[in-house]
Amino acid sequence: MTATSLPPDPAPRVRIRVHRLVLYTVLVAVTGLFVGPFGWLVLSGLKTPAELAASPVHWLPGHVQWHNFADAFHLIDFLGYARNSLIIALIYATLVTLSSAWVGFGFARLEAPGKKTLFGILIGSMMLPQMITLLPTYLIFAKLGMVDTYWPWVLWGLAAAPYLVFLFRQFFAGLPRELEEAAIVDGCGYGTIFWRIFLPQSWPVLSASFVIAFTWSWGDYIAPQLLLSTDKSTLAVAVMSTYVTSAGTPVANLQAAASVMYVVPILLIFLIAQRGFVAGMSTTGLK
Amino acid sequence: MTVEQIPVTGRPGRRPAPSPARTAPAGRPRISMTGRRHRAFYLFTAPWIIGFLLLTVVPMAYALWLSFTTYDGISPHWRYVGLGNYSELFSDPQTWKSLGRTGLFAITSVPLSIIAGLGLAVLVNRPIKARGLFRTLLYLPAVVPPVGAGLTFKALFDQNSGAANGFLTLFGFDALGWLADPYARYVLLMSVLWAAGNVMIISLAGLQDVPRELHEAARIDGASAWRTFRSITVPLLSPVLLFQTVTGVIASVQTIMPLLLTPDGTTAGVTALPQSNYLYMMHVFSQYFALGRYGYASALLWVLFVLILIATGLIFRFTSGVVFYNVDPEAKK
Repeated sequence: MTATSLPPDPAPRVRIRVHRLVLYTVLVAVTGLFVGPFGWLVLSGLKTPAELAASPVHWLPGHVQWHNFADAFHLIDFLGYARNSLIIALIYATLVTLSSAWVGFGFARLEAPGKKTLFGILIGSMMLPQMITLLPTYLIFAKLGMVDTYWPWVLWGLAAAPYLVFLFRQFFAGLPRELEEAAIVDGCGYGTIFWRIFLPQSWPVLSASFVIAFTWSWGDYIAPQLLLSTDKSTLAVAVMSTYVTSAGTPVANLQAAASVMYVVPILLIFLIAQRGFVAGMSTTGLK
Repeated sequence: MTVEQIPVTGRPGRRPAPSPARTAPAGRPRISMTGRRHRAFYLFTAPWIIGFLLLTVVPMAYALWLSFTTYDGISPHWRYVGLGNYSELFSDPQTWKSLGRTGLFAITSVPLSIIAGLGLAVLVNRPIKARGLFRTLLYLPAVVPPVGAGLTFKALFDQNSGAANGFLTLFGFDALGWLADPYARYVLLMSVLWAAGNVMIISLAGLQDVPRELHEAARIDGASAWRTFRSITVPLLSPVLLFQTVTGVIASVQTIMPLLLTPDGTTAGVTALPQSNYLYMMHVFSQYFALGRYGYASALLWVLFVLILIATGLIFRFTSGVVFYNVDPEAKK
């Protein structure tokens, strides 16, 4: 682009200053509204049950109850549930990223009769609520004896996810044709081309896809609730339902502390992977 | 579909040519380039095709079959009732009420979160200090898993310990029972808006693709900022907005947030939901989990499936004239 800059703004400097002040005030206020709720959850996790029951609201904990986090950790087998969540998320995210990249390559670089129809079905299936298929899927898995195992996540992973296929397809479609031509002349199969040439090029999308899939799985509540018994279940289910007194009422402060510990890993993964993630998202080409 | 079924050298209407591999003198099989690409295409898309058939088509067909029965998973004496479940669900007032609530929820939450997300995107697309930090913080709630979000909103709107009532009483208002009727629906709506960062991040990617020359030309022609936004930015973003609308509607249908906002917070407590948050999917859950009526719940699911097909069809139909594609991904090659 040429360096054609706008004509200088004739407005006096004061107006620009006021404008900036308003802009930053709005920005900070809105950001506060978005971050505030999570801050409140952290605060709730640092209070005593009495403070949570008291009215009017105790804004800050009288004595910060750091031990709530340790208690929440020890009251249930937190580490065990976290391990289950981690295993499932790793299995699913790894498999689904690879399978989606594989399928995405097919849609981006290869031709065959029926491709348009298949792509239409792929896009259409993105619009199919997963919840609708989940309940009958559960009944089928129950018949096959796959309830209470992690096999469903393996199958879901192998089957590729339309959204991620689309992500990879958009990325692969944008790579230059010369990439595969030389390899074809050399007699390489498409499998080799995919593994050796395309996959190593696609780190931003691979990491974006992995993070998205990991987040889905870590955050999923209904599928583990349906398919897994209590001790094999995930943190999402445990945090929701196991922090109760013997009378069955939830222990709100420990539950809040536990959910902070449940959410923070996801936030950290997102923060670490953020660059690749945003780059990956912007190649989806929803334009 | 298996790979073997694919004609290697496709000449329609004729018997497949003898396998070139057999006639080839030696070494690697000589299949034409197109033939290889055809075969490779099906090989590459096979995981999805097989997965789609086994994990989507088969369960849906199974649900269709169940929807004609009284199957409950336990009793061996289930029977075929034809359209009985369907006629029952259409005369069930809960079906209609929960459907109405779901529609209302979609109609309010989807446009509001699109507007909020677009507004945020415009805000953080300006040359501001610490832009990356603001973007990250605004996006962060969208990464919080449903269970985390549910518990966050429970803590925020708790009758006693919630910050919402804290502020109300601070300014001399009465504390409200936020998580009960009639306010529960607003808490649900706010929990959706909290994740507007999702729309923001995708709109932001779209905004950055709007050619700058267009904005500058409009500015020189004397167009106001609002006019530029309305006449240039929004039309160029329209495919992104359409995508957000469709995915937003589908997400709103399968939201489980009402469940997570109940005191009990599990599927067992689905019948104890505040009326205003008893959405269609909650109705399915209550039939499925609380009553074990798999047949009836399957009929409810199939009705929902058809309604979603109709709704997305209508959305595409009514936006076909206003959505503007500047790049056709199919035409790129």
